[in-house]
Parts: sequence; structure tokens; C-alpha cells
Amino acid sequence: MKPIWNDTQEYDLKSGKYVKIWQGPQHPGVTGNMSLELLLEGDEIKWLKTHVGYLHRGFEKLMERRKFINCFPIVCRICVPEPDTNEYLFAAATEELSGIEIPERAKWIRALNLEMARLAATIMGLGGQAASFGLGTIGQWAVAHRDFLLDSFEELTGGRIYHMYMIPGGVRYDIPEGFAGRLEKTLVKIEKLISDIDKVMFNNAVFKSRAKGLGIIPKDWIEPFGITGTTARGSGVNYDVRKDHPYLVYDRLDFEVNVGTDGDVYERSLIRKEESLLSIRLIRQILSKMPKTGPVRTFIPDILHWKIPAGETYLKAESGRGEYGYYMVTDGSEYPRRVHVKGASYTHAMALLEKLGEGVTNADIFGLMVSLQTCPPEIER
Amino acid sequence: MENIWIKLFYALMSMLLIFNYGMLLAGVVLKIVARVHGRFGPPVWQPYVNLLKVLSVRSAISHGIMFYLGPVFRLAGGIGLFLFMPVVFGSVWLQNFSFSGDLLLVIYFIFFGQLGMALGAAESGHPYSPMGIMRGLAQVSVSEVPFALAVIAIAAQHGTMSITEIVAAQQGGFLHWNMVTNPVATLAGMMAFLGMMMNSPFDLHLAPQEIPVGPPTEYHSTFLGFMQANRAFFASAKLILFMNLFFGGATNIPILVLKTFLLYMVSVFVGVVNPRFKLEDSLRWFIKIPTVTGIIAVLIYTF
Repeated sequence: MKPIWNDTQEYDLKSGKYVKIWQGPQHPGVTGNMSLELLLEGDEIKWLKTHVGYLHRGFEKLMERRKFINCFPIVCRICVPEPDTNEYLFAAATEELSGIEIPERAKWIRALNLEMARLAATIMGLGGQAASFGLGTIGQWAVAHRDFLLDSFEELTGGRIYHMYMIPGGVRYDIPEGFAGRLEKTLVKIEKLISDIDKVMFNNAVFKSRAKGLGIIPKDWIEPFGITGTTARGSGVNYDVRKDHPYLVYDRLDFEVNVGTDGDVYERSLIRKEESLLSIRLIRQILSKMPKTGPVRTFIPDILHWKIPAGETYLKAESGRGEYGYYMVTDGSEYPRRVHVKGASYTHAMALLEKLGEGVTNADIFGLMVSLQTCPPEIER
Repeated sequence: MENIWIKLFYALMSMLLIFNYGMLLAGVVLKIVARVHGRFGPPVWQPYVNLLKVLSVRSAISHGIMFYLGPVFRLAGGIGLFLFMPVVFGSVWLQNFSFSGDLLLVIYFIFFGQLGMALGAAESGHPYSPMGIMRGLAQVSVSEVPFALAVIAIAAQHGTMSITEIVAAQQGGFLHWNMVTNPVATLAGMMAFLGMMMNSPFDLHLAPQEIPVGPPTEYHSTFLGFMQANRAFFASAKLILFMNLFFGGATNIPILVLKTFLLYMVSVFVGVVNPRFKLEDSLRWFIKIPTVTGIIAVLIYTF
């Protein structure tokens, strides 16, 4: 880290040549509650430091004092745009440690839920990417279409943002009558939206001029920085947990992972758009292949006095932002001994952003930040 | 000599008209942009509500004399621009104080308000203000070049610096409009117009995602009210200026409303489908395309 406040050192703020500003935690360009400490020379960022901690509620510690079922309202709040990955991983970890096998139909419904959540997150991400460069129209369209999906979530789970639908033993309720048809109508609307986004955003000369060549992540950075998800795939790394370590029913679904080459903001946005289309195809496959009848939940002991045998496990899943991991330790009591959450933002939004941010302009830093799919709560968990 | 009091009365009436027109136009634009976004949008009278709200708030903060004067200069620039232009050709009460050299004066007034605002905002001490000022002044300066070139071409074409005479020369039908008789100057002028209206992709000075609202960051209450009032005057005045210079002016109020509304829509629709330029890209674009077009327009009437 370069020194910034010293008469004899590289960046002397008293010289009048540099200005230091804090952007965030309340800033329209910052994604969530974190802030960027920027040292600018003119419009160019000479030095950047990320600051988190504005949202620290101690999710992991809170879980150690709550019974397993009581942890669900906590885990979903670790990521607002896509809480379902947290719900799935926590439920799956408790099932694995207690030796519970969930019904076949529940696995399909969970995969459906995860893909719906990924779709909602990716289209909102596309809107955020466009809005970060001043194209607010796409942001509005994307949020409106995410709302259509939230209607479907409300119908399926009873909740719009936080669902708490995937619980140990399966899912809370079965799919409502006629749900598939109504969801299909929403998917058609979203396909139309993505086609419009393609025309207005990806074929726009101004968007191209701003996003191409910005924030290039070389392929050899992927492993040292721990980069995953669309950010890694944008740089040409073919890794997706759904494909490489299949869970639920992903090994029975027919899909190919989208991989880019350039590793810049434009490429990452393009991959995100393709991911949205992939989620739509996967939702259709799931709805057509899933068993039409069968239980959606298996028997579990009295949840308020449920003791899980001592053990530990690490489970991972692919979220919209990258690989998500849950490490859980139990000691035979009614409470988890330790839960550790690994979200993609931990690496993407801190070390990587600091590295990529140096040398870009103040105008571009938020477009860059959005392209890395930053979600501060999963950093602070 | 016409009684100065009557002229002043007419000027006040035309200011009242144009202020309300500007406010309603802003409201209609909010509504249209909302519909493009897929929203219902606020009611068309929302700008009035906003204005009343900020005017009713008291201020307890001072950043110095220039901070107070900034919005005053801004509003003076907008009103000054409007008052030296004929609004409706041939109308007695909508002639304002236009005179034989008014074209030069209005070019000055376009810049005047923004310079005053820059001085005021800079005194606020917020880092986003100088950043926005730097962006805004660079943008305005570079968009004034093709505008000035287009004006020179039009002045050379008609042999006058009077807006009234330029409008008079365009009467007699659509084919007499400068848009038809001098399309190259009109093209340069309209590209400059996009920059001067400061909608996307040229909204660099406000850039909410980058330097949230830029120069007016520290402005609030009545200061903000002055700026909102100026927005009504300044936007309408610029629309009237471009209508007069390139699109035949207006001979009655409905034509004025129709032409200025359509002109505004050019800027609005370009804005809703484009992201924001970076400053250097914007400057490069203005120097490469509109300025070169403006030079060609001048050369056509020089040789």
C-alpha cells in the first residue's frame, strides 16, 4: 500500500496536486454499504482503498446462538439481490450433517428456485451496469422485470425478497397450481427485455467506448485473487460449480457454460446477459423434467429441539456473482458451533477492485465496481 | 420612441408565460421519460411542487458571498438570454428587447450564467462541485464552438446579426427555413444543441453515479429554487433561440409550443437511449464532428 500523507512521500496532499475523496457508503454509484477512499490527480485515480464495516451485523456469530431453524431469517439477509443461495447452502449443510436425504421433487424445486433467483439477480445486475454509465433507462426496465419475477417468488414462497423457502428436509410448500404457465409468461417478457438490452446497451457506441478495455482481468490473476463466477468466465476461465461440482439436479440438466475472452467490463456484462438467457433455458428444462407429483419435504425431528450430531462440512454452489461456500461445524447441540460464509464479493470487491481501480478515472470506477458484482453484506457477514 | 414602461410590462408578461411554459415542459418531459422507462412518472405539475417545497425551506448555512450570488447569476443568465430574443415573430408583446446585434449578446448570455454558477459552487468547498464545474465548463466551452460557427454561417448567409431579421428571412414557408437553406450550419448547431441541453450523453456535470449532482451539491432551499426557476427560463430560451435560428421562428404561440417541444424531444430522446460520455470522449467528439461540420458551414458562405 502506498503512503499518502507525508510531506516527503509519493502523494503529498498538501502539494495541491492531489485530492482525496471518500465515495460512499451513501453514494449512488457504490453498490451497497461500503466506501471507496480515492486519491485523485485530476480525474485519474492514483490510489484506491476499499472500506467495509458499515453493515457488520455479525451474521456468523449470531447463528452460533440460534437454533438451526432460527438461522434462516439471518442467512437470507447475507445477500439481498440473491438470498436463495444462502438458504440452499445452509439447509443443505444441516441436512448433510444430520444425514437427511431430501425428496427428489424437492431437489428440482430447489434448482428452480435457485435459477429464478439467479435470473432476478443477473437482470438487475445488467440494469445496474448500464445505470453506472448513465443509461438509467435499462436500469428501470431491469428493475421492473425483476419485479415480475418477484411476483412469481411471492406466489411460490410467500415472500418477495427474502423467501426462507428452502428449509431442512426440502422446501416449505409445493408449487401452486398453474404456476409454470404464469412463470413462462414472465420468462417471455424477460427474453424480450434481454433482446431490448442487446439493442440499446450492447450495440450502443457510447457504452462500448466506456466498457471495452476497462478493468481488464488477465487470466493469470484468476487463481491468485480467488476470482470466480461470471468475472472469471469473462476472462476465459471455464469454471462453474453447477458444471464442475454438480449439486441438486444440475448433472441432469443440459447446458453449457458461457466463457469470454477479453476480461473487460464489456465482456463481463455480455457474459452476464448470456447467463440470464441460460437461466431462462434451465428454468424451462427444470419445469419440463421435474417429477409432476411426489413429496416436497421429508420428515425432520422437532425443529425447535433438533440436535445435529457433531461434524463439519463445506458445501458450495454457484451464485450469480460466483462461487458461494458454507462451512458448518456442529457439536451435537441444538446450535451450530460455527458457520463460515464465503461469498464472491470478498475477493472481488476488495483486493481485486483496489488493484483494478488504480489508473482508471473517477467516472469509470463505479462501472468497474458493478462489473465485479459487489455485494457488501457477504463481505462482512 | 415606444414607452419603456409598456415594453417592461410586455417583458414581464412574456417572462411569466415562458416561466410557466418551461415548468410545464419540464413536467411533461419527466412524464415522457418515465413512460420510456416503463413507469407512470410524476404529475406534470411536479416541478411546481418541487419549487414551492425548496422555496419554503429556510437555510442556516453560508459558504460566503459568491455562494449566495451563484444562483443569482445563474438566473440572471437565463432571464438575460430570454429577454434579448424575439419569442414570436410579428407579435407586439412577445418581442422582448431584441435589437440589431442581439445574436452576439445571447451567445454571451448562454455562458454568463454558467460562469457565475461556477464561481458560487466553487466556494461551497465540496469536492464534487469543482469536479462538476470543470466538467460543465469544458463541456459548454467545447459545444459553444460549433454553435458559434453555425451562428457565423447563418449570419453570413443573411448578412445580419439580428435574430429578428434572421427569423424574418425565413418566413414564407418551410423551404425558407435555415434547416433547408443552410443544412450544414443547422447540423452543426443541432449537435451543439445536444451538448448545451446537457442531457445524456452530455450530462457530465451532474453525473449522479459519478459526482452526485456536481456543482449544486451544497445548494439547498431558496438557492435551489433559483436554479429550478432558471432551468425553466434557460431551457425555454435555448429552445426558442434554436427555433429562431434554424427552424423559421414562430408566428404564434401554438407554433412556438409545437416547435420548441419537438426540438426538446430531440435532446430528450437522444438522452434516454444513451449512456454518459466520459469528459475526454465528449470533448473529442465535439472537436471531431460538430466543430468540423461548423467549419465547413462557415467555409461554404465564405467562398
